[in-house]
Amino acid sequence: MLCDDCKRKPATIFFKDVVSGKISELHLCVECAQKRGLVSNKKMSPIEMLQKLLKEKNAHDEQIICPVCCLSLAEFKRVGRFGCSHCITAFASNIEHLIKEIQESDRHIGKRARPGEGKGVEIFKLREDLKKALENEAYEEAAKIRDRLKILGISNTEQC
Amino acid sequence: MLNNIRWLVPSNAGSLTCEEKEIVVSSRIRIARNLESLPFEMKMKPKDSQRLLELVKSIIEPNFKGQYIYMQKLVPLERESLLECHLISPVFLKADRPAAVFLNEKGNISIMVNEEDHLRIQGLSCGLDLVNISSEVFAIDEKLDENLGFAFHDTYGYLTSCPTNIGTGMRASVLFHLPGLVYTNEIDKILKGAVNLGMAVRGIYGEGSEIKGNLFQISNQHTLGLKEEELIESLTKFTRMIVDVEKKTRDVILSKAPYEFEDKVLRSLAILKYAKLISTDEVLNLLSAVRLGIGVGIIKDIGLDTINEIMLVSRPGNLQMHFGELLEEHDRDIKRAEYIRQRLTTPTNS
Repeated sequence: MLCDDCKRKPATIFFKDVVSGKISELHLCVECAQKRGLVSNKKMSPIEMLQKLLKEKNAHDEQIICPVCCLSLAEFKRVGRFGCSHCITAFASNIEHLIKEIQESDRHIGKRARPGEGKGVEIFKLREDLKKALENEAYEEAAKIRDRLKILGISNTEQC
Repeated sequence: MLNNIRWLVPSNAGSLTCEEKEIVVSSRIRIARNLESLPFEMKMKPKDSQRLLELVKSIIEPNFKGQYIYMQKLVPLERESLLECHLISPVFLKADRPAAVFLNEKGNISIMVNEEDHLRIQGLSCGLDLVNISSEVFAIDEKLDENLGFAFHDTYGYLTSCPTNIGTGMRASVLFHLPGLVYTNEIDKILKGAVNLGMAVRGIYGEGSEIKGNLFQISNQHTLGLKEEELIESLTKFTRMIVDVEKKTRDVILSKAPYEFEDKVLRSLAILKYAKLISTDEVLNLLSAVRLGIGVGIIKDIGLDTINEIMLVSRPGNLQMHFGELLEEHDRDIKRAEYIRQRLTTPTNS
């Protein structure tokens, strides 16, 4: 159904009104509804947008976990904060749309930090390797990975 | 702490050129940075927070002149004063983890350690000065990155605790004094325009603070997808546009009702000069009229620096620091009036 006002865009908002016993119906697109002042066109701030988007829960959120700091996607959605510099990589495919909506962009084009991979990248990889080793029951390899993690200052070498 | 506010009250007039200072009170740039090697705030253990404090101290002290202050060592009044001078944030004041703030010698840069992000580097300046203050902030940013290694992602830029800050991690803001636009009810149009351009409008004390004394803070909302220079340029352009409209509005009011205008300004000055009891909010409102009077040339023997100083020293925490004693609200109102009377009647108050 097309919008009653502009007759171009699909109508997504429906209004029903009763005036002296007569029911009138109105089918509008968002823009035309805003023009008539029927819905607010106040732009949401990034914080408001974040709070709104964090409410979208998924069944698998508890299972998606950052291998470096052990923050789950579910917990991220509860508090709206990342736990370390690797959460964004761990949650990437699940939060791309969220970042794009709150920031109205999906790419940084400004100043860059000094290049060089920190030890977090290694921890990230080791955690993934540890997971695979345990799944394949390669316990000797798992022990080696745990030793390396301990050297890097990660005392909790159990799986998140 | 009060000697650390040179950005707002230049100690030797003329050393700082404060562009458009009749309308733009101050400019601020803050960037959020995190170390790649430590968990972010929500996952930090007390030993991580402590380690960060010592690590940052070991890099800052040999490289920059200033004071590295442990928040836990300050009495509540000193902390409140830092907040009132805009050198720390309300979130930082309330945090119960180990925290520190570095204040540079010039008094225009503060670095909060263990805020919502590991570091919040902030530069303040008088008038419209975003370009200069940002280059000072970025020079510090680069020096710290060299030694600390900031968390950075190829696609998403600088990584922060909250997704609303990723990318540049930068918030550029300008504090405006817009009595003309408020008086003519044009202000809503301007503020709506700001929001449509992707900017946020707040009161003098940032997020959630009320609009008082016709003071408005405008800053960028988004931190991803624009270069730092582009953000600064668009806020600077927008600021110049607002300054222009405010000036024109003031001229119109002055030409239509010169006596009413002058009367309002001088009555406000008279109250400030002779009151025996005065609250912080009343000071802000009266200073607004006096600041306007100085801007349009009705008041010639008082400088804007004096107004900025009074605005700052009148805050409850700063006032008690100024007098060096703890004061109840009623006593503060008495002492505030005393300080202002003295400040506006001394001959060298330019």
